[in-house]
Order: sequence, then structure tokens, then C-alpha cells
Amino acid sequence: MEQNVETQIADRAAAHKARVRKDRWIRRLPLLPALIFTIVITQIPFVMNIWFSLTEWKITPPVPRAWTGLSNYATLFTNTFFRSAVWVTALMTVAAVVLSVLLGLGIAMLLDREFFGRSVVRTLLITPFLIMPVVAGLIWKDQIFHSLYGVLNWILTTVGFHSIAFVSKMPTWSIITVLVWQWTPFMMLIILAGLQSQPQDILEAARVDGASAWGLFRNITLPGLRPYLELGALLGSIYLIQVFDHIKVMTGGGPGSTNVPYFVYQRSIGGGWDFGQAAAYSTVVVVATIILATYGLRLLGGLLPKEEG
Amino acid sequence: MRRNWSGAGSRTWRWMTLLLALGLLLAACGGDDSASTTTTAGDSSGGTTTAGGDTSNVTLKVAIVDNPQMQDIATLTPDYFTAETGINIEYTVLDEQTLREVTTRDVGAGGQQFDVVMIGMYEAPQFGENGWLYDLDKWAVDDAAYNKSDLIPAVVSGLSTDTGFWASPFYAESSFTMYRKDVLDAAGITMPDKPTWDDIANIAAQVDTDQMAGICLRGKPGWGDLGAAFTTVLNTFGGTWWLANADGSIGAAQVDQPAFKDALTFYVNLVDSYGEDDAANSSFNECLTQFKDGKVAMWYDATVAAGLLEANDSPVKGLNGYALAPVKETAASGWLWSWALAIPQTSSNPDAAWKYVSWATGPDYLVTAGENLPGGWAAVPPGTRQSLYANPNYQEAASAFAQKTLDAMLAAPIDNPGTTPRPGLPGVQFVGVPEFQDTGTRCTEQFSAAIAGNISIDDALSACQAIASEYSTGG
Repeated sequence: MEQNVETQIADRAAAHKARVRKDRWIRRLPLLPALIFTIVITQIPFVMNIWFSLTEWKITPPVPRAWTGLSNYATLFTNTFFRSAVWVTALMTVAAVVLSVLLGLGIAMLLDREFFGRSVVRTLLITPFLIMPVVAGLIWKDQIFHSLYGVLNWILTTVGFHSIAFVSKMPTWSIITVLVWQWTPFMMLIILAGLQSQPQDILEAARVDGASAWGLFRNITLPGLRPYLELGALLGSIYLIQVFDHIKVMTGGGPGSTNVPYFVYQRSIGGGWDFGQAAAYSTVVVVATIILATYGLRLLGGLLPKEEG
Repeated sequence: MRRNWSGAGSRTWRWMTLLLALGLLLAACGGDDSASTTTTAGDSSGGTTTAGGDTSNVTLKVAIVDNPQMQDIATLTPDYFTAETGINIEYTVLDEQTLREVTTRDVGAGGQQFDVVMIGMYEAPQFGENGWLYDLDKWAVDDAAYNKSDLIPAVVSGLSTDTGFWASPFYAESSFTMYRKDVLDAAGITMPDKPTWDDIANIAAQVDTDQMAGICLRGKPGWGDLGAAFTTVLNTFGGTWWLANADGSIGAAQVDQPAFKDALTFYVNLVDSYGEDDAANSSFNECLTQFKDGKVAMWYDATVAAGLLEANDSPVKGLNGYALAPVKETAASGWLWSWALAIPQTSSNPDAAWKYVSWATGPDYLVTAGENLPGGWAAVPPGTRQSLYANPNYQEAASAFAQKTLDAMLAAPIDNPGTTPRPGLPGVQFVGVPEFQDTGTRCTEQFSAAIAGNISIDDALSACQAIASEYSTGG
């Protein structure tokens, strides 16, 4: 008898499990077309790209595509221009992310306070993030940095300095400035979300115990914000590693502003027409981005409430 | 207590959703391609279908570059071409870079998107030799209305090779020296008709002030920007990009040679000492603005600029003089560029396509355009036909620069631009090989950085020698 009850319970549990599994699939079914679509438009081209990277393929002058194995990858790291593009990518990504996170943190702290017109100010602060990258690049280049017509140089010459051709003299930092301008609002939004989810009772208790403002920030706010800061930095890195538009319109490439995506563009449709080599470069970028994205997604997974079961 | 965990949680969720949506939006914006517009001309004409080689009710797809003269022809096509022939023309207007990408892929990879494509003087001989285009002499020699002998010879040379005439010129330009006559007069200087680069450097030094730079030269990276202006200087200084192998292929890179260094050093020093503000970021448009604003006294650039400087809305109208492109060791150094119409081998109806090419680039179109365009005779596509320069209406509209432009076009050393043998002829301001696009663009990035003072001339040269050497083949 007892045995029977146990098997009955086990059967029921198994049936329940099967039903749960079936339910879960029914729930997932509607997502399947999207998944297949994603595979068709992202994964298949990527596999083709890997195939291209193993061939020598030029459109002009027209020569038949030839299998060359890993030779495109072999020359990759001895190429000084590729190495310099990797360095520019790293500098641009790290500098832009760190600066925009710091600025975003500062602005988010200010916005977390109640004041008159807060929502208007918040909306205005978000706008740089909504501007198309090409437009942002052109505005900064022609209306702010420009040595004759730029606002920045008008200020410099008005107070008695010589005007400076910012974009030509400091290409890397000019582009980083625009990137920071565009990405600070993004960081601000994420950090603000973190700030607004702080447990007020703990803050209040600490305040009652006589904690200083800096102590509150250092010991309660900042540790609580950690996942948000990490999330912002990772999402920012994934996007900023592939910056292209700003470079195209502001400098058009060059030492100090050609990053890896721009280099890939130049080696392929931008005039190099060497698709095999370009495919090898872009495969390397994808691998680097995947490594970043994997960390990012893991972090996102930890941040969101876990799915039960 | 203002907030609690659960309330904040759902708010966080909303924030997250918003952020993700923003991210997607950004990705979508980033992926946006260059704009292209398609206009159909001549939808009014139906044309009856008849048997045989009749071309009525045919529709041709034509890819053109986004410049004012081409926009003009799109407006004139329905009334003056489709109404006559019954051939509908469907234009795809693209910016220069996109047109170059699209035509190279379409024509080169055997797509069938276009029946007629607009290509430049750089592409025409290469595409022709690749076997991608029809030889237009098939039709041109027997087409009296087209009148091939009226075309400016240097332009025809630039669009031809030994095996064919690959594209019919719609618009052509050379380069020359433009200067403010009033400024030079005030300084007591007379510009020679055929100046040397030493003359130009001397004059620039004398007229350069804090308010007005001596000369405007291109410094922006790009094989068609700094690359074009610098290569004409390089040619006349006796330098070249590559040697030619016996079979005409690319030989050893010559960037490390003394003549190349002399040319680059001269160019960089001239523009740094007496050139425009922020030269490393200036090309045609920037120089045009500064010249019109009275911020530069001289300008070496495309002949087409003269039409803009003498336009009715130009603040410097009537103040300017024009002289040939400056030289050093060669007799002439002006460049030659043309936008021209070609018929790809994949064209669905090459005979109808020729009818269109013959009309659009024929002598009669110039008259049609001059009489019917709102801009009048000054807006006619210049530089292709000698009959235009003999036309009294055009001479009147373009009196200030027509003769100098024609002189520059006729002088352009299209088949022999320098002092050394080289691959990729015909071509003055470029080397007519596919590898030059990449080499020219990446090297001018280095040169531009040298103009900006970010790297030394020697570093720029050694980087460029490495880039150019990637394409050298033995021989």
C-alpha cells in the first residue's frame, strides 16, 4: 500500500513535470519564428563571413575566389595598421565608457533629488542619446570644434587665445568627447534606475545613526549601484567597440581615429575591395564582442528576477 | 518613506524596457544606409508596342551621381527624351561613394540592376579592361548626332584604352589656380599665366596675413580629396606612387624616393606656413567657403569652382583671376576628371541604352539644357565638348573662366603626367589601378596627420611606403 502511494505520488510528480515542460514549450512557441529569423539574418551570414575569411577574394581586379586557409589571420597581428586600429578601439571604448559612467553617475545623483522641473530637466538631459550619430558628429565637428566657425573656438578667441583645430590636432579625444556626450545620458538613465530602487529605510536608519553624506554614498549607495554601473559599462562597451559613424563624418579615418570597424570598412567596400582580409578582421571583432557580450548577458541574468523552475 | 523595494522594482523594469527600446532604436539608426532616391522620368509617355527593333515602351534603369547637373537632366528627360523616343528612364540617384560601391558590385559581380551607369574617369578604363562594359565605339562612330570628334581629346583619352571607348563624358573638369586679382594687384604682384610652384609659394608668402591666408589647398584624407591635389604636385615634382613592371602591373613602391619626399615636404610646408586654417580638414567645399568669405587669396582646385565663384550670389564675383595649374619639372600638371555614362554588359537593352547615352552626352543636350534650365547657360555641364566653348551664349554666361577652363582641359597631361614610367595610365591625379583607392586613402590619412602636425613627414612617408608596398608585385 505504502509503496503504491509513493509510486502514485511519483507518477503525479512526473505528470506534473511533463505538463510544466509542455506549458513552457507552448509559451515559447510564438517566439520560434523570431528565433529562426534571427538565426537566418545573423548566424548564417556569420558562418559565411568565416568562410570568406579563409579565402582570397577581390572584386576588382576580378580574380576567382581562392581557398587560402588561415593566411588572412596569420598576417593579422603583424600588420601595424591593424594593431594601431586595435589600440584606437581600446582607447576610445575604455575612455568613453569610463568618462560617461563617471559623468552619468554625477548627473544621476543630482537628478535623484526632488526639485522643481525635474522631469523636464531629465528629458532634456536624455536628448543627446536620441540624436543620430552622424548628426551628432557633424554638429560637433562643424559647429563646436571648427577652427573658424565653431563655438568653442569663438570662446577661445574672444578671451584672447588662438583658435585650435581640435578635430585635426586631437582626433582621438575629439571623437571621445562626442561619444561621451552621447553616452552620458544612457549611463545616467541606468544609474538613476539604480538610485531610485535604493531601500530608503536603510538610508534613513544610517542617517539617524549620524552617517555623513559621503559615508552614505561610499558605504551604501555605491555598493548597491555596482550591478547598474557594471551593466551600463558593459552595454556601453558593446556599442562603443563598433563606433563607425562619428569617425566617418568627423575625421574620415587616420592615425588616431581609425578603429577596427572603420579599418574593416576601408579594407572592403571603402576602397580596399579585399573581402577575404576584411572578413578576417571582422571575425576578430565579433569574437571580441561576443566575449564582452557573454559577460554582459551573465550580469543581466543576475540582475533580473530569476525565472522559476 | 517615499518608495519601497517592490514599487521601485516595477519602476526599474519600466526603465529597463525603455532602455532596451532605446538601444534597439540606436542600433536601427546606426544601420541606416546612405540615402538613395529613385525617380521615374517620363511616365507620361505610354508609347505603343510594335514589333521589331522599336524602342518604344522600353524602360531603362540608370544610376547617376548626386550633383546639380545630373538632377537637371532628370528634370529634362521626360519632355526632351522620352517624348521623342518613347524610352522611359528610371533614375537612381546616389552619392559619389555609394554610387562607386553599388556600380562596382553590380557591374563587377554581374548583377542586372542597371542598364546605364555613371562612372568616373578612374573606373572607366579599369571596368572596360575587366570586360564589364560595352565598347561605345560600336555605336559612337556611326552616330552623326553624337559627333564624337567634338569631344575634348584629353577627356576621350581618359575614358578609353587601346581596346575601346568605355564611357561617354557627361561632365568634365581639370584643375587650375584661382586667385584674388584685387589682392595681388594691391601687393603689386602679377600672376604668370603658367605659374610654377615656386612662384605660387613666393606669392603666398607675400600676400599671407592674419586675416587672409596665402593659399587654400586640400588637406582632407581621401584619394579623391588630398590624394587628387597632392598627386598632381607629386607628378610635376618628378615623383610617382609606383614603378611599372614590364607587363604594366604595379612594381616597387616609390614613396621612399627623394622626389616623393620633396613633393610632400613642399606641400606640407606650404600649407602649414601660408595655408588656410585647419588645412588637415579642408577639401573642395571648405576651400570654396573660405575663398568666398575672403579668407584666402589663392586656391588650387577643380575648374568647376570658377563657375561658383562667378555666380550671381558670390561675394567675390568679378574679383578673381585664373591661371593654369602650377608646375615644377613637367610642362603641365592639371588633373582631369569626368563623370561619364557607360553601358554594362548586363544591360537589358544596349541599343536603347546607347540612344539615351547619345542624347544625354550629345552636343544637342547642352543647347537643350542652356535654353531650358532655370540656371541658364551657366548651369550647363561643362568640360566635355569644344562646341560648348564656341557657343556665344555660353561664352557670355561664362566669360570670366570659359577660356581658362578650356585651356586647362586641353593641357591636362592625361597620358603622360610625370617624368617616370608608371602603371595605371591614363590618369593624372590618380593611378588607374584598383589598388590606388585603398593606398591613396590610407596614405593621405598619414599625410593629413602630417599637415595637422600630429606625426612627422618622415613617419608619414614610411607608413605610406608600407601601405603602397602591400600591392607591389615582383617583376
